[in-house]
Amino acid sequence: MKNESTVIDVPAESSSAMKGSAPLIGVARDHTTSDSGGYKRGLSIFDFLLRLAAIIAASVAAGTMFTSDETLPFFTQFLQFEAGYDDLPTFQFFVIAMSMISGYLLLSLPFSVVTIVRPLATAPRLLLLVLDTAAMAFNMAAASSAAAIGYLAHNGNQNTNWLPICQQFGDFCQKTSGAVVSSFVSVVFFIMLVVLSGVALKRH
Amino acid sequence: MAKESTTIDIGETSTVTKSTSHALVDEKKKGFVTAAPGGGYKRGLTIFDFLLRLAAIGITIGASSVMFTAEETLPFFTQFLQFQAGYDDFPTFQFFVIAIAIVASYLVLSLPFSIVTIVRPLAVAPRLILLISDTVVLTLTTAAAAAAASIVYLAHNGNANTNWLPICQQFGDFCQTASTAVVAASISVVFFILLIVISAIVLKRH
Repeated sequence: MKNESTVIDVPAESSSAMKGSAPLIGVARDHTTSDSGGYKRGLSIFDFLLRLAAIIAASVAAGTMFTSDETLPFFTQFLQFEAGYDDLPTFQFFVIAMSMISGYLLLSLPFSVVTIVRPLATAPRLLLLVLDTAAMAFNMAAASSAAAIGYLAHNGNQNTNWLPICQQFGDFCQKTSGAVVSSFVSVVFFIMLVVLSGVALKRH
Repeated sequence: MAKESTTIDIGETSTVTKSTSHALVDEKKKGFVTAAPGGGYKRGLTIFDFLLRLAAIGITIGASSVMFTAEETLPFFTQFLQFQAGYDDFPTFQFFVIAIAIVASYLVLSLPFSIVTIVRPLAVAPRLILLISDTVVLTLTTAAAAAAASIVYLAHNGNANTNWLPICQQFGDFCQTASTAVVAASISVVFFILLIVISAIVLKRH
């Protein structure tokens, strides 16, 4: 029954020292979440603004191509005196594709707002990135196929005896070229959106 | 000289110290264990990424070379002035060959980055570089494939309104070869979309 025991002298003036060393525990801030939440929220807001700009670009492209009709007032060698987007299947595809892209961008705006409100959530970001990639490929397909047909309309092809119709239908060609350029601008916006989502997704 | 003093009984302390040291070791083990599952599935994804890149290299080289060698010379007399057809008769096909060749060389150059991400699945910088450059190259591939597809469609069907005659009725082999190249480029577009999605999933934090 022999207990080991020792005597410790506690000086009376120790209270001030103890007071000074107490609050260590509550100071540790959560650095990572608040800081990364800050710049990610900025990225989300920029993402939302880019989406609005892309909606405008895509709908302008679809609308310009849709209303690019031209009727010649005079007699020419060609049998056709009217030109419209529905004379070329590629341009029909262009109008439908750009309208679908505009609709998709409108529907993706709520998801973008969710990422602004919750900058650290990865699920809406990942969904937006995947859908944006597919939409960008679709947009680029429509834009470049219409550009190829537009190039052919401007220059023709001697080897296949395809005559350039822009020499007769100047207004029609100008409007379709403008629509194609607007569609390429929308593609650039999509690239920025995809890269933005990738940067916002990354962990530290 | 009134000092406060107290008496502390030191009992059997060895078990207490042992358990605290256990806790330290356990924490270290826990930290080790949580790193491995994140590394596990991400490593699988990066290996899949590398294999996809190899497949995409094969397909893009195939598409570019098939279009490059798509020539046909007609043996007989026809109403057309042109008896030969080749990829250089169409500026769009020329763009296709050059663009897909650039894409193939980009893929070869991106293989080291992919290997780096296999070795270090949690590194962010090479993944982000791959994601951004894959997006740009996806755009280029889609542009080349879609432009060539629209010309191939025109060659197959022609256009009555603009008096563009379908040349495939005379140049059957040339049209077939060109169509094969366009299909191969479209498959490589799908591969690129998969690569971008894989990069995004590997990048995301838990």
